[in-house]
Amino acid sequence: MLTELGFVVLAGIKFGALYALAALGLVVVHKATKTVNFAHGAFAMLGAFASFLIVVNWHWPYWAAYLLIPWAIGLIAAAMESVILRPLRQADMFTVVIATVFLGIAISEGFRLTYNTELLAVPSLFAGPPFIVAGVLITRDTLWVIAGALAAALACIALFSYGRFGRGMRAMAANIRGAQLCGYSIDRVYMLAWFLGGGLAGLTGVLIAPVTGVSIDLSIAIITAGFVAGVIGGFDSPKGAIVGGLLLGIAESVSAAYVSSAMKNCVSFLLLFLVLMWRPQGMFPERSGRSV
Amino acid sequence: MDGRDKPGQDDFNLTGKCFNHRNAPAETALAAGPALCNQAENGFMPSLDICSATRPAVALAAGIGLLTLAFGAPAQENGITPSEISIGAIGALTGPLAFIGTPGRDSMMLAFDEINAKGGVCGRKLRLDFEHASSPAESVAAVKKLVEQDKVFILVLASGSTGAAAAADYVRQVGVPTYNLYGSTPIIREPFAKNVFHGAVVPVQVSAAALISMFYDGEYTPKKFGILAGTYAFPQATLKAAQDILGQKGATFTVEQFDIGARDFTSQLVSLQRQSVDSVLVLGSFSEAGFAIKQAREMGMANVRWVVDGSAVSTAIIPILGNADGIRGYYNAPAFPGQTPATREFEARLKKQLGSMPQGRPSVYDLIGYGSGYVVAEAIGATNCQLTRDNLINAWSNLKDAGPTRLDGLDITFPESYSPTDHQGVYRIGAAIVKDGQWQVYRVIDKP
Repeated sequence: MLTELGFVVLAGIKFGALYALAALGLVVVHKATKTVNFAHGAFAMLGAFASFLIVVNWHWPYWAAYLLIPWAIGLIAAAMESVILRPLRQADMFTVVIATVFLGIAISEGFRLTYNTELLAVPSLFAGPPFIVAGVLITRDTLWVIAGALAAALACIALFSYGRFGRGMRAMAANIRGAQLCGYSIDRVYMLAWFLGGGLAGLTGVLIAPVTGVSIDLSIAIITAGFVAGVIGGFDSPKGAIVGGLLLGIAESVSAAYVSSAMKNCVSFLLLFLVLMWRPQGMFPERSGRSV
Repeated sequence: MDGRDKPGQDDFNLTGKCFNHRNAPAETALAAGPALCNQAENGFMPSLDICSATRPAVALAAGIGLLTLAFGAPAQENGITPSEISIGAIGALTGPLAFIGTPGRDSMMLAFDEINAKGGVCGRKLRLDFEHASSPAESVAAVKKLVEQDKVFILVLASGSTGAAAAADYVRQVGVPTYNLYGSTPIIREPFAKNVFHGAVVPVQVSAAALISMFYDGEYTPKKFGILAGTYAFPQATLKAAQDILGQKGATFTVEQFDIGARDFTSQLVSLQRQSVDSVLVLGSFSEAGFAIKQAREMGMANVRWVVDGSAVSTAIIPILGNADGIRGYYNAPAFPGQTPATREFEARLKKQLGSMPQGRPSVYDLIGYGSGYVVAEAIGATNCQLTRDNLINAWSNLKDAGPTRLDGLDITFPESYSPTDHQGVYRIGAAIVKDGQWQVYRVIDKP
């Protein structure tokens, strides 16, 4: 019975770690620019597709995918922000959000037109035998996905909390005029936020590609899970995004195993409604205080 | 039907010449009078006020009409022009069911291109009007558009069971000749409709029996079955048939379900593991089956015999699993792509047509789409070029061993035979297995 629960929770943590990474990318962009980037799922799909190209089509080593793709997707995202969203910055927030929705659709459809197939399979990174812990088989890939996603998320939080770059984004989020007076450039900070968000999406794509394969539906799957995880944790809280992602993954897995497999999709929306009704600021909002 | 009326290879050719319609007997023209009255009464010919005329006048008018038609006037039937025959088709081109519709469109197009390159049928080119439709609502809307707006001559359902089930009532109601390529659902098959024909995809009772029989191949004796089934129409139809068969056998089995496009099967596999199943039937697409089996192995489910549904018997399942050897499934064609010279030639032609071959293709849906394109051409030709829907339905109902071979196409599908009371063209099915990383059909099952 415990072994069975172990399998279920492990699967939940695996998908939860990926959700957390996706949510963190959304939170980073939102925290700096106050924009929900609905193209985030499409950037992650692009990352997964790039890993297919690198590993399967070009037969490059896997580390090349991990090294190149986050940077490449980050640069693409920053370029999109500069070219498409910067001119829209003067419009209301609704316009910018809608622009990200259609940007995501354009990327997904572009992928479909280029590679019209149901699924592209990407092989696992590791082929060795699994580890057995208390009767639960843990594959090397599962460990890698969980450890990789959580390590990247923690590194991002550290960068956000302590780096000059992170301070700039937080300052911009708190008070744009004040941040400008302190010498921060809006264009530069926004572009950096999109670069970081895109990089996280790219990394999510590389990690998720062997787990789910690459398909056009990946875009929707990632943005949905990332958005729900972000809302659960608090859309302005990077730490909340990680906890929200893990909670969502475990809740999906446990409910599917012990209630009904039909509950898997249902539970994420149920959590979303519950959190929005009871704690609209999220379960782990950032504390905001002011010294007077 | 006497020998003269019986359609055969000599009744039509691909050079544009039609034979018997110029020699239509005078009795046909006379008999058309009451038929015209019936059409007018049914609202099809509202402006034709001839039903009050005397019978000789009606017969004369009908005779003149037929003679005019015979000597080159444009045909009046929907979807027929002097140069083209319009064939409408629906199927998913995007989304989780695109693995069915896209190959259907591409390979039917390949067949029609080959036929048109040889002159077409009855002096007319075959034109494919393909409408994307994925959900039931989209399928009904697409079918209505093709029939009512585009006014196609024949309707092809290249959409799998979901679309076929959704369109079933409508196509029965309007009576348009309908060719169901991929739908195995009983909803499109029952009750019998004289205008609906079913091609290479066998009824679920046949495919389910074949699937269960594969568990016993090679002196293997299953102890407890597990069934992993998608919640959408096609797997559900097969699931019901498989449950019936296993129930009749007195076998012990358990069922777990998953949503369309699922990638995480942990909860279902945990349940199967808990019940110690040693034989698992996966009813879903290749991606669903592939990830389910991959995760099962990661969870230590060794020594399990896996049999997958026909829609999962695809080369694309192999890269998901790495080593897929030993996995079995049924195949709606006599040979897998790459297994015979004909299937290899088909692959080369399709690749030339598409530019590059998408992963997992050619699939069985490509083979069926291609073969079905030729069956459509053969059915049209069997009307002796008297291109009305009624004639087409009658001719199609008497087709025997139809397929690409007769029209110089590639022999890659089971031949299709129909009768006025049985519109299921094929009852044969191939049993396939992965050996050395390649799918191959290892035996043909005749009406299991």
